[in-house]
Amino acid sequence: MTQDPWTNRLSEYLDGELPEWERHALESHLESCAECSLVVSDLRRVVRRARTLKNPPPVTDLWPGIAARIGAGIPKAQDVVDLDAQRRVRRRWAFSLPQLAAAGIALMTVSGGAVWFMSGAARQSVVSAPVPSSPPEGTPAVSVAMKPNASQSYAAAVADLERVLADGRGKLDTTTVRIIEQNLAAIDRAIAEAQRALDADSANLYLNTHLAETMRRKLDLLRQAAALVPVS
Amino acid sequence: MLFALLTGTLALSPIVQADTTLNAVRGQRLDVNAYAGEVTVHAWNRNAVRIVASGADQDQLEISSSATAISIRTHGRHGPPDEITLQISAPAWIAISMGGVNTNAKIEGIRAPISVETVEGEVDVTGGESLISLRSVQGSVRLRGAKGRINVNSVNEDVEVANSSGDIAAQTVNGEILLQGVNASSVDANTVNGDISYSGPIRSGGRYALSTHNGDLTLTVPEGTSAGVTVSTFSGDFESEFPVPLRGTRKGKGFNFTLGSGSAQVTLESFQGTIQLVRPGSEEDPARRKREHDRDHDED
Repeated sequence: MTQDPWTNRLSEYLDGELPEWERHALESHLESCAECSLVVSDLRRVVRRARTLKNPPPVTDLWPGIAARIGAGIPKAQDVVDLDAQRRVRRRWAFSLPQLAAAGIALMTVSGGAVWFMSGAARQSVVSAPVPSSPPEGTPAVSVAMKPNASQSYAAAVADLERVLADGRGKLDTTTVRIIEQNLAAIDRAIAEAQRALDADSANLYLNTHLAETMRRKLDLLRQAAALVPVS
Repeated sequence: MLFALLTGTLALSPIVQADTTLNAVRGQRLDVNAYAGEVTVHAWNRNAVRIVASGADQDQLEISSSATAISIRTHGRHGPPDEITLQISAPAWIAISMGGVNTNAKIEGIRAPISVETVEGEVDVTGGESLISLRSVQGSVRLRGAKGRINVNSVNEDVEVANSSGDIAAQTVNGEILLQGVNASSVDANTVNGDISYSGPIRSGGRYALSTHNGDLTLTVPEGTSAGVTVSTFSGDFESEFPVPLRGTRKGKGFNFTLGSGSAQVTLESFQGTIQLVRPGSEEDPARRKREHDRDHDED
């Protein structure tokens, strides 16, 4: 439950995103803090391990159904971009939650470390690509196919965390559960309102950002709530 | 004691008295984990930590000291530990890491990093330096007189930061965010259901982002402020106590304007509330309103 104040900064440290003075301060802290050093060490192992994992193909090919609905037909081979190839080039710790969780569990790292890492990946996928309400007309097949990827990542992250919460529901105080559910419902209402607004004005930068930010809030709250579940 | 610190840990478990004092050496931090109850820490001018405990069975309290930390924790033999009241005196230089579930935390006078996490409790801190992280799920979070990188977070209650400086991140879902008398170069405050108010200097080169979904947003703008301001709302309103030089209107209810040379960057967003710019000391200034409210409360 208690946490070293530096713990929340380790992600930025490993990402190389800390300003120089903070990096020096953290490295100095690492020399004297065995816990943080252990976490950093474990997380580096998670990263190494996660990099070796393969992105499994979807169990079901969703494209035929999507194509039928939007009348896009079956894309020609030359229209299709190899997303795996793109990912291999662009990928920067862009792992799915199950991959990270699996890596975390497999390596038996500290629980906070895995949660930390999952949050970083989730934040990247959600914030960088807000979910469109509908594909714009004339959008090439590849564009339509890529955007649901972020949506699916988000849905998977939410589903994973909701499952953790559901499994641990009995271990939490009933008032806490009620409060969390009320606040999740409040965020869901905000997401729905932002989505409706975006449906009417899909090019509005503020609405896009606001929706993405509100979705991230839901993920944050789920993650926070999941962290409350005692490990038995 | 010195021998124990050099050779490993000194375990005092379980303690046999409710009043214990341990020597503290620089480099140690104070770890407190109390499942339920009230924990108060106040700074004193001795290099020692005094723990006065009451309420719970003393067998449930464990105190230990190592080279890196003085640890105080409660544990239950069969089920959760009982409520406990801990009154702790500690040197101002000691970093504090505190956790609990049904625990109220109050810390005063510490000039070092502070981290507090509780679920069903309030957090009230005066002081703190470097890294300050305060979190509660069901309780309010209040911080005054802090300096450094500040992260305050609640879920279902208000968050307040006053008379503090540094970088500030404040979040809640169902509550207000009140930032008063803060001197920050970076502020990021957001809530879903609640108002946000900010008063303090807008520093040159600073970044200030305030965002709410259901709530009003009030920014107190001192004379001479130099900032580029971006205002965004979907179905809310914008009001200002002084003329603002609008420069273009964005699609939707959004627009930008510049005060002075625009060296700071201010982003104000409320999906369906009122965004308001006020002058310090005006009737709408949240700082003034709070002073009046507190005065009325004191008179009652």
